Amino acid sequence: MTRPVPDEELMMLVRGGQGDMLGVLFDRYQVPLFSLYSKLTGDRAASEDLVQEVFVRILKYRRSYRPGTAFRPWLYKIARNAHVDQARRRRPELEFQPEMVPPAPHHDQAAASEQEALLHRALLELPEAKREVLLLSRFQGLPYGEIAELTGCQVAAVKVRVHRALQELREIFLRLGGARANRGVAGVNHGL
Amino acid sequence: MDCDRTAKLLPDYWQGALSTRDGELVRAHLKTCAACQELEALGEGLAHLSPEHPSPALRRRFQAMLDAYEEGRGEASQFSSSHSGPFEWRPSWLWMRPAVSMGAAALLLLVVGFLAGRYLNDAHSQQEIAAMQSDLINMRQLVVLSMLQQDSASQRLQGVTWSTRQPQADPKILGALLHTLRYDSSVDVRLAALDALSRYGDQTQVRQGLTDALESQQSPLVQVELIDLLVQWRDRGAVEQLHKIERDPDVDPAVRNRARQAIDQLS
Repeated sequence: MTRPVPDEELMMLVRGGQGDMLGVLFDRYQVPLFSLYSKLTGDRAASEDLVQEVFVRILKYRRSYRPGTAFRPWLYKIARNAHVDQARRRRPELEFQPEMVPPAPHHDQAAASEQEALLHRALLELPEAKREVLLLSRFQGLPYGEIAELTGCQVAAVKVRVHRALQELREIFLRLGGARANRGVAGVNHGL
Repeated sequence: MDCDRTAKLLPDYWQGALSTRDGELVRAHLKTCAACQELEALGEGLAHLSPEHPSPALRRRFQAMLDAYEEGRGEASQFSSSHSGPFEWRPSWLWMRPAVSMGAAALLLLVVGFLAGRYLNDAHSQQEIAAMQSDLINMRQLVVLSMLQQDSASQRLQGVTWSTRQPQADPKILGALLHTLRYDSSVDVRLAALDALSRYGDQTQVRQGLTDALESQQSPLVQVELIDLLVQWRDRGAVEQLHKIERDPDVDPAVRNRARQAIDQLS
């Protein structure tokens, strides 16, 4: 199988003026970025706006992409800035609404969907900085070094944040789920 | 190992960054401690949250943005080409009195220096872009070829779509599309490949490829589309193959019927 063209090579073409090559990068990253934003904000419409904004910024700032720079951290930096800017313009706290929980996947059993919905809800109750570090490290699988660079702190501090955020998430999860969560939390990874 | 230490090590445990010994200690503790199992399960749950898909409208919005950008670039280059060149500008300040023109000349020197710098930079970036464009055909080819070989049918469909953006017929891409037409497991992808190939009726490689594909094609839908295209191209070289189909009892009756009509149309 031919290897997929690396993101960096495509971005160099975009930088050189070949805007259509951005389409390939968009197709690669629209779902990861949208998923991240959606779980971070609980707002699907705002998340679509943010994904669009990220790619507008890539075109706008394409010349600032330096050869040899890893594309993904660069993209996530832009994505994070776009979110920070948007959050400044919006109301500070978003109340939880039932529609913030994404639609249940078709294939999942009801119990698994319920656990996932509960987890989404617990996530949305976490302070945003903690939600972000958990989503980046666990859901997106970014290495701690990359998250440290993104958030401007030390790698050790990122690990501490993950640890603390997880402790807090467990408390919220158990509170929301009550007795049901006590039974279900141990099986959350099997059910999801 | 106690709970506190285990919880602190979990982030490294998940990313495989623990020493073998610490990893074993964490695993051993997790086997016996329900509270730490809960934490670990939550972390795993986060790692396996379902991805969410944006609405198709987002892709359309993105494309509209990109088209607007490309159009803007097109207009910009048209604008710059409508000017005869950077040195043909006739300044209208030559009539000025010497005292005024001295100051103006000093200012002009600054402006010229600035513009010359920009012009040279532009020339440099133009060279850079030209060099990239020479690689672009290869890159497009690589993008399409790699997409056509992905496991997911939707990605292969995207590959076919990308192939239609090639300004000229590229033998390697045509070969890959013909291969897709014959062997792709998805009827949708095969039909899309046929549609993409329909633009290349003037290419012998494609006409021959379509006739060959007719021989091995199993889907009646694709067979009929293939026959229609060969008739549209008035490809008499396909008649022999059409006869075989028409006589083959295993072929769908509707396809055999269409083959019979096609033979009449081409004879």
